[in-house]
Amino acid sequence: MLKLAIYGKGGIGKSTVTSNLAAAFARLGRKVIQIGCDPKADSTINLLGGDPVIPVMNFLREHDREPERIGEIAKTGFGGVLCIETGGPTPGLGCAGRGIITTFSLLADLKLFETYKPDVVLYDVLGDVVCGGFAAPIREGYASQVLIVTSGEKMALYAANNINSAVHNFEDRGYATVRGIVLNRRSVDREEEKVRAFADANGLPIVADIPRSDDIIRYEDMGKTVVEGDPELDVSKRFLALAQLLLDEEKTSA
Amino acid sequence: MKQTATIISIHAADTSGVCSMLYELGGMVVVHDASGCNSTYSTHDEPRWYRQDSMIYISALTETDAILGNDEKLIGDVVSAAKDLSPHFIALCGAPVPLLAGTDFPAIAAEIESRTGIPTFGLHTSGMRSYLAGASEALEAVVSRFCTDALPRTDAPSANIIGATPLDFSVNGTVESMIDWLNRKAGFELVSCMAMGSTLDDIRRASAAHVNLVVSSCGIATAELLRERFGTPWVAGVPVGEKFSAVLASALKTSAETGECALPCADRDASASGKKLAIPGEMVFSGSLARAVELDLGTPCRVLCPLEAEDRLLAPGDIRIFDEVAAAEAFAASSGVIADPMYAPVCPPDVPFFRLPHEAFSGRCYRKESLNLIDRPLPWRF
Repeated sequence: MLKLAIYGKGGIGKSTVTSNLAAAFARLGRKVIQIGCDPKADSTINLLGGDPVIPVMNFLREHDREPERIGEIAKTGFGGVLCIETGGPTPGLGCAGRGIITTFSLLADLKLFETYKPDVVLYDVLGDVVCGGFAAPIREGYASQVLIVTSGEKMALYAANNINSAVHNFEDRGYATVRGIVLNRRSVDREEEKVRAFADANGLPIVADIPRSDDIIRYEDMGKTVVEGDPELDVSKRFLALAQLLLDEEKTSA
Repeated sequence: MKQTATIISIHAADTSGVCSMLYELGGMVVVHDASGCNSTYSTHDEPRWYRQDSMIYISALTETDAILGNDEKLIGDVVSAAKDLSPHFIALCGAPVPLLAGTDFPAIAAEIESRTGIPTFGLHTSGMRSYLAGASEALEAVVSRFCTDALPRTDAPSANIIGATPLDFSVNGTVESMIDWLNRKAGFELVSCMAMGSTLDDIRRASAAHVNLVVSSCGIATAELLRERFGTPWVAGVPVGEKFSAVLASALKTSAETGECALPCADRDASASGKKLAIPGEMVFSGSLARAVELDLGTPCRVLCPLEAEDRLLAPGDIRIFDEVAAAEAFAASSGVIADPMYAPVCPPDVPFFRLPHEAFSGRCYRKESLNLIDRPLPWRF
């Protein structure tokens, strides 16, 4: 089972990258689960035609009980991708990080992986590794590899550096390792050069280079990923190539 | 209000269960909690505290350490103490604050083990579950780690007792009486008693036993582990009263011969009509007591289950009670109640109440009244 966590600065395109990657794995015939780990709960919306799944935290709040089956907190989206959102507390209250841990614990109790038997699990994680809860997706038993999404913008690279450092801090704990950088272009001057300098300085490969594309926005307006909308587009092929690369690596390592 | 206790007590929490189960095994137990909380886990709930040494410590977690996620301080302190104490193992327990902070105890345990070379477990205690959950996880972790070799079975019939802690059995001779009954009446030598009166080395030899006697539901997970690992069958029950002790001895012999597990504590007849005697408590003990009362005194009983328990431990007619309101309603519909004295305030005055202290419920408050009911006539007449 390929288990990936996608991190990056807020607003950098993590959910777009994750959803397109999920759609790409699905187009390659894999059984996929995508778990959005962000209180905004908007990770999977473009896999679901714009019709969102109820986030786990919302379910707990509305029903005052834990879900008894996966179907109560999951929806199947494009290509059979099982979509789950942790959601979070009422803004300004509670503890969002704890919400992620609680969700993961519930999913374990519901035997999600044992019953659904996915080939690929993607965790789309809010912004930065700000507390223990946001490190939960890289703990043992969850994601084994991290992809960091960044553009050439200074603050995006700053966040990427923080994430990379945080993951390194957990080296002794058997947590996930950083697999590489996904360059999500934002039309920044000398963008590739800046990102490559960061990647080289940290010994990380750039595993995908996603061009800025109006097609992504056009299909998202329709509640779709671009990989679903038109897999023949160049931008879609970049996601499909990344998915294939990760699958090939997993096959080789197995 | 649902699931509240405004009049009666609540059961000891999971952390107390860990401390109680591991008390005598030569390991170091570290509870990651604020300074001063050790008295909650180990003094009020622990009759051995003043007469038998143990290595139970509190990390003295501060607000700043919790906010900053200062795991390194915990790791450094444990590693330093372990170098001085050379424990057989280290068990790390959570509490409510680490629960909310999302502390990753299994990962911290792995770091400590890599630095000290001492087997270290990270347990999922949070203070949100009962002592049974903590005692169960702690014993299973120890047995999983230390009972790895399939030893030849002993020549003479032998058994382990699994799930004994003062939280369920106090320190009043009950466990010694169980061992004596096992030897003299049931005909089994004791390999180990998990975890009172036996050492870690005794527990290492657990696979040599022919059968396991589970005396509390906190022992079932370990019994299942030993069955999966070594094929050892288990029987759940406590030899209370006269006739049920004989039934349990027979069940142990049958189980050792056939390899089949059995739950005589839940093997009760629900056909009797009318009001029954209510017995709230841990299911293996309370179920055994209910059957003993039925067999020895002819009084029909039902067990009220206020704790975590698998469905198979409930006999037909037994019910789960989640709060004191449910307990009060169940008592009012009963012919009498055998329970810890702290249940008495919710028992209607016209329902006879028979006091049977349970340390997991009332701590040391009624320790002097605790009863040894093993293999002897029951003290009540209804």
